[in-house]
Amino acid sequence: MKRVLEGSHAVAEAVRLAKVQVISAYPITPQTHIVEILSEYCTKGLMNARFLRVESEHSCMAALIGAQTAGVRTFTATSGQGLALMHELLHWASGARLPIVMAEVNRALAPGWNIWVDQTDSLAQRDTGWIQMYCEDGQEVLDSTLQAFYLAESVNLPVMVVLDAFYLSHTYEPVDVPGQEAVDRFLPPYVPKFQLDTAHPCGFGPLVAPGDYMEMRYHIAMAMDDALIRFGEIEDAFAAQFNRRYGPVEAIECEDAEIIFVTTGTLTSTCRLALQDLRAKGEKAGILKIKLLRPFPYERIREELKGAKKVAVIDRNFSFGAGGIFAQEVRAALCNTPDHPPVFGFIAGIGGRDVTPEMLTEIYRQTKNSDAPQKESVWMGLHEVKYAD
Amino acid sequence: MIEIRFHGRGGQGTVVATILLAKAFFQAGYQVQSFPFFGVERRGAPVEAYVRLDRGKILLRTNVTTPDHVAVQDQTLLHSINVTRGLKPGGWILINSPSPPADLTPYAGFQLAHVDANQIALNHRLGTRTHPIVNTAMIGAFARMLGMPPLEAIAAAIEEDLAADAQSNIEAVRDAYREVCLLGGIG
Amino acid sequence: MIMNESANPNPLFMPRTYLTTESNKTGSWRFARPRYDEKTSPCSAACPAGEDIARIEMLATQGLFKEAWETILLENPFPSVCGRVCFHSCEDLCNRREFDAAVAIHSLERFLADTAIRYGIKPDLERRTPRKQKIAVVGAGPAGLSAAWFLTLLGYSCRVFEASEEAGGILRWGIPAYRLPLTALRHDIKQIEAQGVSILTGKPVTAEMLEALKKDFDAVFMACGHGLGMAMNVPGENLKGVGEGLDFLRQIRDGQTPACNGVSAVIGGGNTAVDVARSVVRLGGKALLLYRRRRRDMPAFDPEVEMALDEGVELQELMAPVAVAQEEEKILLTLQEMMIAGEENSRGRIVPDHGKIHQVRVDRIFKAIGAQAVEPWHQPDAADRDMLRLTHTVLNRRGTGAVLVFGGDLTNATKSVVHAIASGKQAAIALDALFQEGVEAVVPRMEACRVGDGQSLSMEVYLGGERRLRNPHVVRYEEINTDHFQFIPRVTQPRLLKEERARSFEEIDLKISAQLAMKEAESCFNCGICNQCDNCYIYCPDTSVILERDTQGRHINYDYCKGCGLCVVECPRNAMSLGEETP
Repeated sequence: MKRVLEGSHAVAEAVRLAKVQVISAYPITPQTHIVEILSEYCTKGLMNARFLRVESEHSCMAALIGAQTAGVRTFTATSGQGLALMHELLHWASGARLPIVMAEVNRALAPGWNIWVDQTDSLAQRDTGWIQMYCEDGQEVLDSTLQAFYLAESVNLPVMVVLDAFYLSHTYEPVDVPGQEAVDRFLPPYVPKFQLDTAHPCGFGPLVAPGDYMEMRYHIAMAMDDALIRFGEIEDAFAAQFNRRYGPVEAIECEDAEIIFVTTGTLTSTCRLALQDLRAKGEKAGILKIKLLRPFPYERIREELKGAKKVAVIDRNFSFGAGGIFAQEVRAALCNTPDHPPVFGFIAGIGGRDVTPEMLTEIYRQTKNSDAPQKESVWMGLHEVKYAD
Repeated sequence: MIEIRFHGRGGQGTVVATILLAKAFFQAGYQVQSFPFFGVERRGAPVEAYVRLDRGKILLRTNVTTPDHVAVQDQTLLHSINVTRGLKPGGWILINSPSPPADLTPYAGFQLAHVDANQIALNHRLGTRTHPIVNTAMIGAFARMLGMPPLEAIAAAIEEDLAADAQSNIEAVRDAYREVCLLGGIG
Repeated sequence: MIMNESANPNPLFMPRTYLTTESNKTGSWRFARPRYDEKTSPCSAACPAGEDIARIEMLATQGLFKEAWETILLENPFPSVCGRVCFHSCEDLCNRREFDAAVAIHSLERFLADTAIRYGIKPDLERRTPRKQKIAVVGAGPAGLSAAWFLTLLGYSCRVFEASEEAGGILRWGIPAYRLPLTALRHDIKQIEAQGVSILTGKPVTAEMLEALKKDFDAVFMACGHGLGMAMNVPGENLKGVGEGLDFLRQIRDGQTPACNGVSAVIGGGNTAVDVARSVVRLGGKALLLYRRRRRDMPAFDPEVEMALDEGVELQELMAPVAVAQEEEKILLTLQEMMIAGEENSRGRIVPDHGKIHQVRVDRIFKAIGAQAVEPWHQPDAADRDMLRLTHTVLNRRGTGAVLVFGGDLTNATKSVVHAIASGKQAAIALDALFQEGVEAVVPRMEACRVGDGQSLSMEVYLGGERRLRNPHVVRYEEINTDHFQFIPRVTQPRLLKEERARSFEEIDLKISAQLAMKEAESCFNCGICNQCDNCYIYCPDTSVILERDTQGRHINYDYCKGCGLCVVECPRNAMSLGEETP
């Protein structure tokens, strides 16, 4: 049934439907609405789950590592500084092969103190061994969260479902919330591949000498590769049940496109609007929306971009000294293919600034009018700052 | 696509007003989007919240800067905030007030309506005597002003979100729908 | 165990360990060694009776009132009396005083005694196997009864000879009921009798009788106290209107109502003087208290002086009597005003302020300037060098007859109830050591049961109880880890209003509730003793503090203890020590 739901509540509905057993979180704007409603569900008995209050995000992830090792399905949500504080244990969760699912609401890192959207927080965690899914709207948030549990448990790796602060987390829009029976048909119950067992005590995560460590890491690498295949299978199963599919990437009017935008998150929607205008004016533009950052869908990206003359990657994030992070990833994906299109990098919407259709059209114009990128990144919409006297 | 902006103060149910309105429009067959001004909210501080509605899927994911219509839940805001900021020419301005503003010059080129939402809220014991909750009365007046959404759709949205106090709120909607004073275009 | 990893289509190698970290004996790295080392609390060292106060408060905190009361009885058979009239030097040295305020040890002792009375609790105290020696005690005051109590616990049969018609000595006849009601005293005495002490009242011991006792008994403990008032050595002091304060108090305690009309002058600055003055007020008279030094120099307990003034007693400081004369119906008392010429022993040194003579007309005079032995033979011969002179007693074992021991006020430098008790205890220990091991054992055995570094003795230690394991080191405030304590206001002793006090002999101090008592006891640092707070267990980073669930004890597993010393540092009360590791 379609209901007008806030993005945060779309996450919470999926967590409820996934019958998560342990939830732990520490409040931080703009994530708070997610766990607020989940704690209410736990209190009212709408979920048969333990809600663990903790004193920090670091403790939160530690608690979930413990709970998941004990053999239950777990969930948390965080944002910005909170995710940064979890960093050490993010490595532990993936290294320990625990299929924990997290909703991460993109929030700019301080200073300046800023609660608005910026993807740098989650992108800074790209090497922690977590699968990352970026979402465009409330429906995708709900669907991806359900898929995340399935995917995580299939490959024994944790999954981060990533959504934009406010543009998604605090925006109400119609979302189809599936019934419990339909979700149960899609998502199998959690069966741990290993777990703590008081009848057979053992310790996980002991000292592992060089003789074994590399193999453990290689297994994670293989699991990440497998995750891409499993994601396809899970999408098939999801589509069969709910008739919706997103793909690791979505190519929008790319077949004959000469200039292709590469987008993530909610600005994809605004870009779709800009694309309608451009196409109406006869411009051969297209959009490649990237949903999966890890595992990175190299093959699909090469495939979708190979016919384009130019690629314009829009990054709502920045790696200081190296440019927009998705631009780097796309360049890395293309660099070994012959005659690949030049990749133009644009930085836009950092720290919660609007990315408007006009700005996107301007990006298109600049890309079209340049033969080759003049620099790694072009910062859009900068203005003069007023210094203190 | 129609964009609506609500002005209010923290604690007056401004965000809830836009959510209810969005839900009512959705009931009436529209695609909708509703969100608050993305900021830090405090009781008493000026707040804004928005509704977008369209027949097709809404793709625009930005703040609302050029609304089609505006509602002002607290007339004291008229002194501190430019409520016509970005308002499209000919757009409606609904003000919670028993009478129209004494000086109409700032509203030239727009259409004006007012409703005594405070009194209606008090009549239905919504909120307290000092802090009446006027959001449902404002929605009722708004529906009359735009000719949509239908009252049944508003009632359904209220039943869903404000189940505990649905009847008084629905009655406030109906009273405001009846009592709103539509002054129309200001020359 | 679920082991689905190998069945996974993709390899998932998850190393486990089935070993415990116990194979790594980290104790081998240790170069400092923590140990449980219970020490001595300053309050118990300050208590002349050597009561195990830190432990008493710990038991009270846990609501174990009977056990707390029994712990008092191990060292002092007079909890009901001492909970009321003891001057509680324990509180003066309480470490908590430096933190916020001393624990109200005195009120808690009273509470425990009253609780035992209220519920008719009988103590379960161990008694030694009976000994053949018999001991006579002369005087049923606090010293004599204490000696009899401890000697009985040690297995001896005791008989107490008391001149008055009821036992108690100064407690029965010299302390007014508003400070020590009869029921409270009688309870403690009944308790002593129940232990097997036989008291013969109305049996004054004469010089001849003493000789007979020496023949019939193996030892005689002389504890007949000081019953003879001291002389002022001023002209007219033997006039009819001049009386002994102690006699006046005795009349009241005997149920009489001596005349108190008009003004009564009371000479002295000790507790007896204050008691006399306050009793005069209660009988409707006006009391004029005259002391030759300043108020701050008075040996009487300060709260008592404070209450006396509240009740209407008039105090004149720096006034010494120089003459008494009869003047018609009145007595003319001539006073020399004194002045402070310096300080000596923390009291003012006084000299006459020549020329300043005052005269007051009063209706009677009560002397309360101290007392002495009634008969010269009550006292040990100061010139006899063969006597064994201990801190609170003197032993005379001349010849082959019975051992003669002098104690109580006869030998104590400080004349107080608790010092009398200390004397009785010392006599009991000395006699036991003498009878069992010979005279050479007396001093070493006495030394071995000293509490801390002071002169108090512990019967529990003498009897070989667990308390003997305590380190005699007295815990100082700096050794308390105050991070683990919160400021708590000290309980206020509830009292009768002064209007009620001034017209009756009703007990002034009221009982505190069990709830208040437990809260107050909880504020005790329990200096030097383990109260099972488990900080050592909580803070040990190597889980090397092992709790013994059945015995509620703890020990350190030295196989793994790395000697970091956290347990010692975090022990709030210095019940642990860190020493060098010896190979």
